[in-house]
Amino acid sequence: MKAKRKKIRLQDISLPTDEPLITIRADDLMPLPPPLAREEKKDPYPSLSEEQKKRYESSLDGVSALSLPKPRNKEEEEKLVERFLRGLEKLLSPNDNWLFWQPLIQSLESCVRCQTCSDACPVYLSSGNQEIYRPTYRSEILRRIINKYIKKRGKILSKLTGDDIELNWPTVARLAELAYRCSLCRRCAQRCPLGSDNGLIGRELRKLFSQEMGIAPKELHESGTVQQLRVGASTGISPEAFQGMVEFMEDEIEEKWGRRIKIPVDKEGSDILLIHNSGEFMSWIENPVAFAIVFEAAGLSWTLSSEIYGYEATNYGTWYDDVQLARISLKQVEVARKLKVKKMVMAECGHAHKGLIVIADRILLDEMNFPRESFLPLLEELVCGGKLELDPQKNNFPVTLHDPCNFVRLMGIVEPQRRILRKICPQFREMEPHGVENYCCGGGSGFAIMSSMNFKEWRENISSRMKLKQILEAFNDVLDPGIKKYVCAPCSNCKGAIRDILASNGLWERHSIYYGGLVELVANAMVAMKKPFIDWEWH
Amino acid sequence: MGGLILFIFYGSILFFILTTALRVKKCIDAPVHLHWELYKGSSIYESTEWWTKKEITFGEKLWSMVLDLLFLREFYHRNRRFWYPLYLFHTGLYLLILWHAWLFIRAVVADIETASIFGWVWGTFSTLLTFIGGMAILIMRMRDEELKVHYPPVHYVKWVFLLLTLIGGVYAVDLHFKSSIPSLLKYVREQVTFADFEHKLRPAPAPALHVLFASVWLIYLPFSHVYQLFFRYYHYLRWDDVPNRKGGEIEKRVREHLERPVTWSAPHIQSGKQWREVASEMQQPPILDSNR
Ligand code: SF4
Ligand code: SF4
Repeated sequence: MKAKRKKIRLQDISLPTDEPLITIRADDLMPLPPPLAREEKKDPYPSLSEEQKKRYESSLDGVSALSLPKPRNKEEEEKLVERFLRGLEKLLSPNDNWLFWQPLIQSLESCVRCQTCSDACPVYLSSGNQEIYRPTYRSEILRRIINKYIKKRGKILSKLTGDDIELNWPTVARLAELAYRCSLCRRCAQRCPLGSDNGLIGRELRKLFSQEMGIAPKELHESGTVQQLRVGASTGISPEAFQGMVEFMEDEIEEKWGRRIKIPVDKEGSDILLIHNSGEFMSWIENPVAFAIVFEAAGLSWTLSSEIYGYEATNYGTWYDDVQLARISLKQVEVARKLKVKKMVMAECGHAHKGLIVIADRILLDEMNFPRESFLPLLEELVCGGKLELDPQKNNFPVTLHDPCNFVRLMGIVEPQRRILRKICPQFREMEPHGVENYCCGGGSGFAIMSSMNFKEWRENISSRMKLKQILEAFNDVLDPGIKKYVCAPCSNCKGAIRDILASNGLWERHSIYYGGLVELVANAMVAMKKPFIDWEWH
Repeated sequence: MGGLILFIFYGSILFFILTTALRVKKCIDAPVHLHWELYKGSSIYESTEWWTKKEITFGEKLWSMVLDLLFLREFYHRNRRFWYPLYLFHTGLYLLILWHAWLFIRAVVADIETASIFGWVWGTFSTLLTFIGGMAILIMRMRDEELKVHYPPVHYVKWVFLLLTLIGGVYAVDLHFKSSIPSLLKYVREQVTFADFEHKLRPAPAPALHVLFASVWLIYLPFSHVYQLFFRYYHYLRWDDVPNRKGGEIEKRVREHLERPVTWSAPHIQSGKQWREVASEMQQPPILDSNR
């Protein structure tokens, strides 16, 4: 039996204790379908060690995404609270925060507290409706802090409007962590009848912490955007290392396709500059390899770039920092301009699509307003327009499709990937819900690459739980390990998150559920391949 | 007393107009924001060279807004249970607002004595709808566990006050004016033509109370979320997709912002420089050697 849960109120965010507001237990979690239904449930994440608890803030839910050190004394706490308030003022100023002021104010002011959004949130639902993960929990706290400390409403009005949240260090520390319990999937915003965007509020909160207080997850900032700006890629790949990878790709192509080709690199004046998430070169080289095979087979005029910034599509600034977002976007466009290509095409990386094609759109002025598009319509033209010789029977295994939030709900690219799969995968089946109603993989907004302390376990067992459920449901009639199954996730970060949930639940070993990108399936269906492109080897 | 009511009534109208104007100004002056969109389904990005495709037209947007506001489509699709009372309430309210507009116009443009019973039916029916809807919303807000979450206490007061306003209206029309549209129109004519000041200074309590209630609403309205809704349509927010075109309006407006200083103070930002500089300069030089 479930123990009765303590009711969490908004005001609890300022409780002056080190004790987490909630600790999620196995029984709280949303149940999973077969084959995981009957397995003994385990608590979703381990507690931090005593040493970690002593040094880092974890009083939200016992998880630390930020490794936020505890202030040494009261003065330090007060200073930090003061800086938070200064940041909040900037967030609400149309001058300081012109880039997002409109949608932020809209979101803060239009909510009617109907909670339609709560049922849309995968984190809230997966965790067993934990109050603190409700999409409106952080927004409402922020709203009330604004009313009390920025708009300075009087005592009586504060009581009536419920603005009685105390802004102390525990509040700030918990809010910082809470900003990283939302994957910015914006499913809640899609549902909101009033157009209030709790995902955006989460992002703006992250931004306040980063741009004013220098607080951000290490994986996104130091080893993310800062490293990208210094070295060229957030994976740390340098231009020289990249060259080596291209040679390796050529070997792979020869082995699979039976043809030795020269992958075009830095070819001036090509039609297309193709940009991959550099994580693909490190973890899933078959994806850039498949792109090269397909583009070559279709006879496209295309190139990769080995210039610094030219071989990395990621832009983690999208998730937490406008300045880093702008810096990286400009660098990426500059590469394409110098190469004199006709357009940039983003490969299988969702946030790179949304970041460079959509969000950065209005800061790319004059000659920097450079043509940028998704690989999907192009791939659709190749597959459905008869530019490739394909045999769908080569893909005759169950395939389901994960919709990356960033280019589906947040960009409206919904159908091309489906038309491709219907054409080349006879056993294609949808997940439910799908398209713009899809659920996040749980790795969105940087979660897929964040692994501080117990955060990875939190992600695998909470934020990715809904996706795991969807995958199992999509394959529920073919769970037999003798049948190989493929989760198609056309986004590098989604792929990482899905790999981790399949691995930690033993779904490849026990039920042959495999994962990969979209273009690999296209390459696998090509008649001219010497060997099957998909090798079903777990990595 | 009468003077005070007059002052509050005309004052509230003035206040309403002024604050509305200020809010509209704030809305127009608001900076253009980055393209942060959500999509209901397929968008232009599904085509290659999407920048050569056309966006949806102003007419289509307007039509979509009208449908949203009239039928509360979003609630209909996403929270049906709550939609029923909301729909009753809003339909009643729209009709009631129209009815008031009709009263004001009818009172001055035609002979009052010939007004038919139709005016009374219209007003009563709309009031009833609004009342039932409002009551149902209040009850749901009090009983439904989800709808209670984060709902500020002051909003309960708002709903009670709204129901009282409706009752006050019915009291004035049906008891004070004895359900007679001609007497009601006569009263309205006095108000809008500024006639018979003497009479106004000693108003009958029932209509005066209703007018007072109405004034409170006029003062509240510019601060309510209703306005925010209109601004959403004005500002390329949600279900709207306006790419930045070379030489276009967006580019012009963004250019101004790029000249402004960045004020954020985290170490990686270089506070004080212009946005343009901060975005295009390196905080640390890139490493171009190969020993990494
Ligand atoms: S954000 Fe939207 S859906 Fe959520 S409570 Fe507010 S108005 Fe309702
Ligand atoms: S953006 Fe996604 S994860 Fe965040 S609150 Fe909304 S639904 Fe939940």
